[in-house]
Amino acid sequence: MDPILKFDRVSKHYPNGVHALKEVSFEVREGEFLSIIGPSGSGKSTVLRSINRLIPISGGSVYLDGEPVSEKKGKELRCLRRKVGMIFQNYNLVYSLSVLQNVLHGCLGYMSGLKGILGCYSEEDKLRAIGLLEELGMKQFCYNRAADLSGGQKQRVGIARAIMQQPKLLLCDEPIASLDPSSAKTIMDLLKEMTHKRNIACIVNLHQLDVALKYSTRIIGLSKGEVVFDGPPECLTDEMIERIYGTSRENLMLGGGNEKKDIVDCA
Amino acid sequence: MKKKISLIAREQKRLYTGFLIAAVALFALTTLYTNFNPMVLVRNGDAFWSFITEDFLPPALPKASSIPGVFSSVLVTLALAMSSTTIAAILAFFVSLFGSEKVSPFPRGAKYVRGFATFLRNIPALVWAFILFSSLGIGTGVGFVALCITSFAFMIRAFVETMEDVSQDCVESLQAVGASFPQRVAQAILPSCLNGFLSWFLYCIEVNIRASTIVGMVGGGGVGLTLFSYIKGFRYDIALSIILLVAAMVIVVDRITAKLREEILK
Amino acid sequence: MMSNTRVMEQPVVRSRKGKISVACSYRNRFIPGFLAAVVVLTVLSLLYLDIDWLKLASRVPEIGEVFWELVHFDFSNMDVIFSSMLETVSIAVLSLLYSLILGVLFGMFAARNIFRVTWLSVLTQSFFTFLRAVPTPVWVLLMLVCLGMGPEAGVAGLCVHTTAFFTKSFAQSFESISEETLEALEVTGTGRLSIFTNAVLPAAFSQIVAWTGMRLETNFSECAILGMVGAGGVGFVISRNLQGYEYGTAGLAIFLVFLVAYGIERVFVRIKKKL
Repeated sequence: MDPILKFDRVSKHYPNGVHALKEVSFEVREGEFLSIIGPSGSGKSTVLRSINRLIPISGGSVYLDGEPVSEKKGKELRCLRRKVGMIFQNYNLVYSLSVLQNVLHGCLGYMSGLKGILGCYSEEDKLRAIGLLEELGMKQFCYNRAADLSGGQKQRVGIARAIMQQPKLLLCDEPIASLDPSSAKTIMDLLKEMTHKRNIACIVNLHQLDVALKYSTRIIGLSKGEVVFDGPPECLTDEMIERIYGTSRENLMLGGGNEKKDIVDCA
Repeated sequence: MKKKISLIAREQKRLYTGFLIAAVALFALTTLYTNFNPMVLVRNGDAFWSFITEDFLPPALPKASSIPGVFSSVLVTLALAMSSTTIAAILAFFVSLFGSEKVSPFPRGAKYVRGFATFLRNIPALVWAFILFSSLGIGTGVGFVALCITSFAFMIRAFVETMEDVSQDCVESLQAVGASFPQRVAQAILPSCLNGFLSWFLYCIEVNIRASTIVGMVGGGGVGLTLFSYIKGFRYDIALSIILLVAAMVIVVDRITAKLREEILK
Repeated sequence: MMSNTRVMEQPVVRSRKGKISVACSYRNRFIPGFLAAVVVLTVLSLLYLDIDWLKLASRVPEIGEVFWELVHFDFSNMDVIFSSMLETVSIAVLSLLYSLILGVLFGMFAARNIFRVTWLSVLTQSFFTFLRAVPTPVWVLLMLVCLGMGPEAGVAGLCVHTTAFFTKSFAQSFESISEETLEALEVTGTGRLSIFTNAVLPAAFSQIVAWTGMRLETNFSECAILGMVGAGGVGFVISRNLQGYEYGTAGLAIFLVFLVAYGIERVFVRIKKKL
């Protein structure tokens, strides 16, 4: 089985001199649920954003479905991006539009010309979007403005939009960092369930170590732009955690949901 | 030496003191340079008084035959402000799409777009009017273009800021979806920023009502020209009624735009 | 975290043709009407203005020529340009400083929560609304009549408008201080004036600085154009040289105006970030 995603010695320098990634290499296969952990500034977001080229990389190459990402431009890049769904910490919805319109944005990559610009979606797409919302328990809210929803509901809309793309790979950039513990659990459960059912590989950036241990099939630990750990959650020993976060396990908040993030941020 | 206990943070105190010292220094420098003496105003108090009571009051109506002309000149001023702001807003919308690194499809060009707008904006509308008068001749059309230039440049800056504040996140997500640039504009930027854009548009109308009166004074036509000619003709009492008319016009427009803004941002 | 009452459950809605509608059930219905009105008014305005577009367009190449001449800076009149520029800046700064004091004073009267005399604030506010509604050059022209040529007329004329502006915005800032704070001080028996100097003024200070910076930009550009309607300063240099076809000198003066305006803008962007 070919990997869906392959990082081959990828590095990234930002113009301000920050060396965000140093020769990062790993592969992701179908159906994997991969968590990337590491302290703030270790390059987690950069890894995700270099997959769909929201950030261009400076060295090495990223292969998506066997095709090199960095050579794509214009139309080809759009085709490639629609294979990759993305979920954001701040939901990144268009708050003045309805929930349904936000979900239907997932089809824009497949539409061309005036129809996409004017937002004339086909009836099948609309039915599919409503079906997805139903699956996420959001069908009754489909005509509400996205701005009026609660955080957990907004993130569910974000998931629906990403699944709407019919992606092969789902990227989640700290999906639960702005949520309360109970919504966070709902979102993680939904993510796991939706991706498992559709056999979508999923990469999640996480600040919550316990969440990563519980949900993922594999964990990558990043520290200062380098992969220091790559393996199943069972192998993540205390020494490893110490190497990733640069501090011993006792200094990390491991219990609850959100507080831990703050601690790690401070560290 | 006994030290006084400071009541505010040192950082802030330094700021206050710096501000005060700068103000006093500037005051001294500029007073010296211009030889400005506020007492002149007091000394000329009786001249003021006689000017106000004898020349200015009571307001007089212009000749009955020229009253329709005055009203049509008010209309010209209003029409000038309205049309130039709308045209400028439409142009500014399209240009501002290229003025933000985060939104534009050509991020490298964004700096130049903003620089161009800064250049246009920092030259006052009246100076543009004069430059254009010397190339296009005097007339309403030139006033229109001059007003367009400054409000165009102002709105580029305002629109770019609105876009970066409001729609940066959803533009990113639509980019990740694989949406093309026109799709991103129509589906993310326009719906999320429209209210902000319209609010700035209304502000620009307020500004342009005043500006079109001024541009009118130097040859752009409209009520400014009428007022200017009465002042130059020493008919201050008639000028006063026109000043009142201008004030009424501006106040009414301000009221209307304030109401509209409330509705839009609801 | 349900944010407000607008969240409501709704079944799927289909249009008459059986298509599923996608738009929000709650929408600001005002905006489409507003946009239509703007378009109609603009078309009417353009028709009313009756601009000879063809004639205008045929002269467009001349703009290029004028610009070409303008960028050939003529440095021979540098001293005149420079001193007139300094005069303009000085008038702008002086009028700003005088208005700052006057604005705090009148803002105190105009704010409803300082003296709590309603008729006083209404009277002050409506008077200054009138002053603000009349464009600055008109005031300057009238001052020129009273005082004759010189910086006095410029400063006084600019002060009228600037004071009116400050009065309104400072009053707004003063009123934004919370009622409870004032009441807390009132019950201690503090006098109105000392409440103002000790509580209201410091609280509004950063806003006052922001307004001042914003106004300095406006004052400078207003001041630069005053010369064009008959007062002195750099505007006079620009308009006289443009009319006399001395494009090199005019271009240099315009460029200087741009540089100063840009400089003021940059400085206050930085100060605003600090506050």
